[in-house]
Amino acid sequence: MKLLLDIFEKSKPLFTKGGKLEKLYPLYEAKDTFLFTPGDITTKGAHVRDQADMKRMMISVVVALIPCILFGMYNAGHQHLLVNGQGYFPFIMKLHPCLASLVQGVFIVLPVIIVSYAVGGIWEVIFSIIRKHEINEGFLVTGMLFALVLPPTIPLWQVAVGVSFGVVIGKEIFGGTGMNFLNPALTARAFLFFSYAGDMTGNKIWTSVIKEDVQVVGYTVIEKSKVLLSGFSGETPLLIASEVKETGTIEGSKIALMEALSGAPFEASAIGGNFSFWNMFVGNMGGSIGETSALACLLGAIFLLIVGVASFRIMAGMIIGVIVASWAGCFIACFFMEGQVKPFFLLPSYYHLVMGGFAFGCVFMATDPVSAAATNTGKWIYGLMIGVIVYIVRILNPAYPEGVMLAILFCNMLSPYIDHFVVKANIKRRLSRGS
Amino acid sequence: MEELFSQSMKAIFPENMLLAFFLGMCSFLACSNKMETAHGLGLAVIFVLTITCTMNWIILNFVLEPGILNGYKDLTYLGFLCYIATIAATVQFLEIFIDKFAPALYMSLGIFLPLISVNCAILGASLFMVDRDYTIVAAVNFSFSSGVGWYLAIISLAAIREKLRYSNVPAPLKGIGITFMITGLMAFCFMTFAGL
Repeated sequence: MKLLLDIFEKSKPLFTKGGKLEKLYPLYEAKDTFLFTPGDITTKGAHVRDQADMKRMMISVVVALIPCILFGMYNAGHQHLLVNGQGYFPFIMKLHPCLASLVQGVFIVLPVIIVSYAVGGIWEVIFSIIRKHEINEGFLVTGMLFALVLPPTIPLWQVAVGVSFGVVIGKEIFGGTGMNFLNPALTARAFLFFSYAGDMTGNKIWTSVIKEDVQVVGYTVIEKSKVLLSGFSGETPLLIASEVKETGTIEGSKIALMEALSGAPFEASAIGGNFSFWNMFVGNMGGSIGETSALACLLGAIFLLIVGVASFRIMAGMIIGVIVASWAGCFIACFFMEGQVKPFFLLPSYYHLVMGGFAFGCVFMATDPVSAAATNTGKWIYGLMIGVIVYIVRILNPAYPEGVMLAILFCNMLSPYIDHFVVKANIKRRLSRGS
Repeated sequence: MEELFSQSMKAIFPENMLLAFFLGMCSFLACSNKMETAHGLGLAVIFVLTITCTMNWIILNFVLEPGILNGYKDLTYLGFLCYIATIAATVQFLEIFIDKFAPALYMSLGIFLPLISVNCAILGASLFMVDRDYTIVAAVNFSFSSGVGWYLAIISLAAIREKLRYSNVPAPLKGIGITFMITGLMAFCFMTFAGL
């Protein structure tokens, strides 16, 4: 460590004003603050004396993502092996199936993460050099979040295009980290979603495949052509649930729904069908790399809450929002529509928490402190709105099976508006107290 | 009922006047600097859009189309002229009316009422209404929802611009450039409800 420090200290005059590589100062500064806590002090104005500056805050999100990354790798490999029966390295399979899944997954997922980081990092460096701002660890978070919400089968050039859009249009043109109004990772994801729908839509199951004659994907039989397209983002249980036909009675619809989800008779689903609650909670299903496991997200959430980076108000608001909305939907379906309604309405509310990208979006996407609402009341409203919109899009909107990404983006857009009203109301309240 | 709901959802979100058809862009960009003005303008647009669209529906169906009132002649070629005249007249009339009976509202709408008579979204809604053969209920619903969509767009833009006031936007993009970028990104967000 001492040696490293010495080398850095020696190279410092090169980068400071008047040095040969003066233009590349952001690079030097970035490396300095990434690895050490520099001794610089603020030269003017008031400042906060705290170890945890923005860089440390951002890196703690990456730490919280570790369970999701690891499980995502394992799961990507696992699903791949389920489909193909063999991986790139058959000899590892003999050692231990779990290890084989993990190794397979690393080879599927790592390129995505590397491309996302490399391209995002290049843009960040270009902008910081030209615009002379610090290189921020924000891009580490953006790059990782973006990689984790992609299907593992995504072509790497799309990763590059998406992350370029997210970093440049979503963040840098507003002046870099902390200035943007939309979550850059979600902006990138939405950009890919609308531009290359064939590779990104949630309608088809993804699983990384090598062979063409595969017919059975682990849990559900799909046609060959769909496997070859292999574009999917984690909503298959949602799609299955939304396509269940009504049976006329409420009880019948409910049973049909549960059967469709678990792929087994209703009574047996307690011991674990394919999309049983616990299976989806653990994340043993196809989906985007990091979002399948609610359990991994929960671990990340606990870490983020303890560190104090994410707001519990937003998470709680989102969960309450979707649960209350699904109760309301169920109530309306049961009492006003007499069972003549899509069985999807009758899905137990807690299922919504583990399906699709809800857990991931709730923990990592919606809580982004830059794009979320800033006031405390605003955070509750913001979270509740996301929850309700997620439910609306999932149940009522036939265009998309999953709505977490778009619901969060929509509320990102509205969050300054929400804040404005909260602040206004607060001013009014205080004024009335004074008079 | 369901049809009306889906129609209004469509008019507010995926087929938003501003973000999908780029109608009413000028006042959208010019008046979104401050929340208060955006709020006033948005309300005025909802108000005028609904009223003029309804008026134009009545004129189209009882005056322009062959019927007892015009001696069974087809006068629809006068459409454009009539709609614009109606809008201008309605706005003038409304201005006087509101000034007289609701001075508080008049004060808050202020300059925006006359401005609105040249807002493309207003004429656009009337022309869409003609184009799509709406019934009177659908026309009222459509125009009101379009207005709400317009209001939602301008008020979000104003809030975002207030939030971004202190952000370090690259010099060439400052002002109108970044506003266009924000508008584009907002159009993304409005796609959430496509298909409802």
